[in-house]
Amino acid sequence: MPRFALTRPALAGLTALTLATPGAAAAQWTAPPNDASWGLDVSLILEGVYYNEMSRGNRDPAGFDDGHDHGHDHDHGHGHDHGFDNGFNLGHSELVFEASLGDLFDGVLTIGFDEDHVEVEEAYLVTRALPGGFQVKAGKFLSDIGYINSRHGHDWDFVDRPLVNEYLFGDHGLQETGVQATWVAPTETYTQLGVELLQGETGGIANYEGGQSALNGQDRILRDRSGPRLITAFAKFGPDLGPDHAAQFGVSGGYARSFQQTDEHSTRFEDWDGSAWFAGLDAVYKYSSGRAYGHGDWRLQGEYFYREIDVDRRDVNFEADGNGPIGFVRNEQSFKNQQDGIYVQGVYGFAPRWEAGLRTEALGLTNDVGRGSGSSFGASYRHTAQVTFRPVEPVFLRAQLSQSDFIDEDDRRDRGLEFMLQLNVALGAHGAHRF
Amino acid sequence: MFFRKTRTRSTRWLIAIGALALNALILAPAQAAAGLNVVATTSTLGALAREIGGDQAEVRVLAPPDRDAHYLDARPSFMAALRRADMLLEIGAGLEEGWLPAAQRGASNRAINSGQPGHFRAADMIELRRSITMDGPNMGHVHEEGNPHFNTDPRRLAEIAIALGERMGQLHSDHADTFMERAERTANRLREHAEALADRVEPGQHIVVYHEDLDYLEEWLPVEIVGYLEPAPGIPPTARHLRSLVSDLEGTEGTVLYAEFQPPRGAEFLERNLGWPTHAVPLDPPADSGLEGYLELMTTWAESLPQR
Repeated sequence: MPRFALTRPALAGLTALTLATPGAAAAQWTAPPNDASWGLDVSLILEGVYYNEMSRGNRDPAGFDDGHDHGHDHDHGHGHDHGFDNGFNLGHSELVFEASLGDLFDGVLTIGFDEDHVEVEEAYLVTRALPGGFQVKAGKFLSDIGYINSRHGHDWDFVDRPLVNEYLFGDHGLQETGVQATWVAPTETYTQLGVELLQGETGGIANYEGGQSALNGQDRILRDRSGPRLITAFAKFGPDLGPDHAAQFGVSGGYARSFQQTDEHSTRFEDWDGSAWFAGLDAVYKYSSGRAYGHGDWRLQGEYFYREIDVDRRDVNFEADGNGPIGFVRNEQSFKNQQDGIYVQGVYGFAPRWEAGLRTEALGLTNDVGRGSGSSFGASYRHTAQVTFRPVEPVFLRAQLSQSDFIDEDDRRDRGLEFMLQLNVALGAHGAHRF
Repeated sequence: MFFRKTRTRSTRWLIAIGALALNALILAPAQAAAGLNVVATTSTLGALAREIGGDQAEVRVLAPPDRDAHYLDARPSFMAALRRADMLLEIGAGLEEGWLPAAQRGASNRAINSGQPGHFRAADMIELRRSITMDGPNMGHVHEEGNPHFNTDPRRLAEIAIALGERMGQLHSDHADTFMERAERTANRLREHAEALADRVEPGQHIVVYHEDLDYLEEWLPVEIVGYLEPAPGIPPTARHLRSLVSDLEGTEGTVLYAEFQPPRGAEFLERNLGWPTHAVPLDPPADSGLEGYLELMTTWAESLPQR
């Protein structure tokens, strides 16, 4: 039975809308002859990070090590740290191309790179000419759920991604290929509603493995499931608070009709197949003092997200062991993981061109993992302080100290301390920043 | 079973959003008011639009006049205002590039897209002075098209007023003649007031300004700019730069002018070391003012200099 019957007609409708409207708009649109905004804008963001792990705490917060607590330690490097080596690192740099097709479409391509990887972070078209406050985006993009998820690193107030975004979604947040439709209401208070139909590949919320070959005639429970497998929705509100204050509040959520995971143990595969959903709240407040170079300005920001994974588990032997031959099935169960996370941060411009910020985070205030006989883990915390200096507009230098206080699966807390120094430079025609 | 529950929940979500969107589509046209809904980035442009539009225009100004219009956030309230606008007036030439494109995109209103008649870019209507940033080293604050601070030049504003009257007439053709008439009257008043003020200022004045935002005073007042407190546009004054200004200007007479939102320390240093009077002046009229507010501002600028 199709679990998500509405997806297909909705997608078809959106596609039709995207294709039909520019045609209608083209008739009325006239090109001014020498508009400078037509060219390709290119910008390069270069980042360097000096990293020093002053003391090592627990690696992974309990309950978030790929969602389950297998006893053996396989250090495959994707453990959710940001992958900095002690000493100098290239950090996360970006090459951004932006161009417009008249006032019909904007196209954006963002290539992210560090020493070892080059990745297409975003590659999308977004309409500008739809009537009635509608906008459609198609391609690969950062989802607009929450606040920080859709922002690139050089736009953040801290060197690293908040734990809740990293562990509930992924190392790149919720970054997917698909279609987004938004609508801005013609109201005094800014109101934006949006839905996204996404392929569903993000590890934390829509992990996808696809069908696996049978073992000794024994099928696995994992199946191919065509996309889109993830749907999200969000709403943002921004009241008009006069010249000094500005705020935006958001609510968002999503449902993945497929959440699959497979893990290789010594003699068996452990397979999960099911669904997942999340919901969250976000808020941002900015105070502008009116003084030069950001002196006296405030920014406060916070997000909360809750995630529930609901899966069937079944293990299949790929090697004969004491339990049975290849293809032997065991550990059949259905369970849920219910987890959440929150962060709150504030940044203050204490002098012209100087800012200082504090961030406090909790991961797993609810931390119920249903695998096996089920466990309820404690919460992990992290506290971060930063000082940022902007000598000229496109350059900043940031020093950051983080203390992690992660709990492990045996309820032991261990504290780690990290120091980071970040240099970030934006070169070229870098686009305007969103609120 | 859990699946079932989730499915109905998300189905309801979809239906609710769909219903809301549909509702809005039906209601939206009813919102369009009779007059022209104009959003101006700065209060100088807002003042022109109010004078020309009269009762036929509702004008909202985004940038608070006591703030540097280079550095604003693309606030949700800006996007809400732009969403409902029939017309966007911007200075252009890079002044608002740090925030306006993001606000424009967030507004999802094609009437104010670049290239549409509802998008009025004042810098396109006039010839700009060169910007220092075009010649100096690239420090990230480059105005390739020229100096965008022509809000301090009433003569250029007079040209802009004519172009604006014409454009508003295109959008609201019932009132085209009225708009044009008011635009011409506005232009004349700007030119006459500029001439009258210039006649009262002692000729041959030297001024030092903070940023290139008061450069256009040279275009209509008998003044010459002999230095900037900033070593380069966007870079705050350094002790070394201020000392070299003092040694260059030692023994001469002049006035230091800077914007109210700029730090006064550099100006105070020159006052102490050169004995020059200093004045912090507004760069734009109050947010809700019409032409009178701008004419008063011109008087403030002119009277900060020695009078005949």
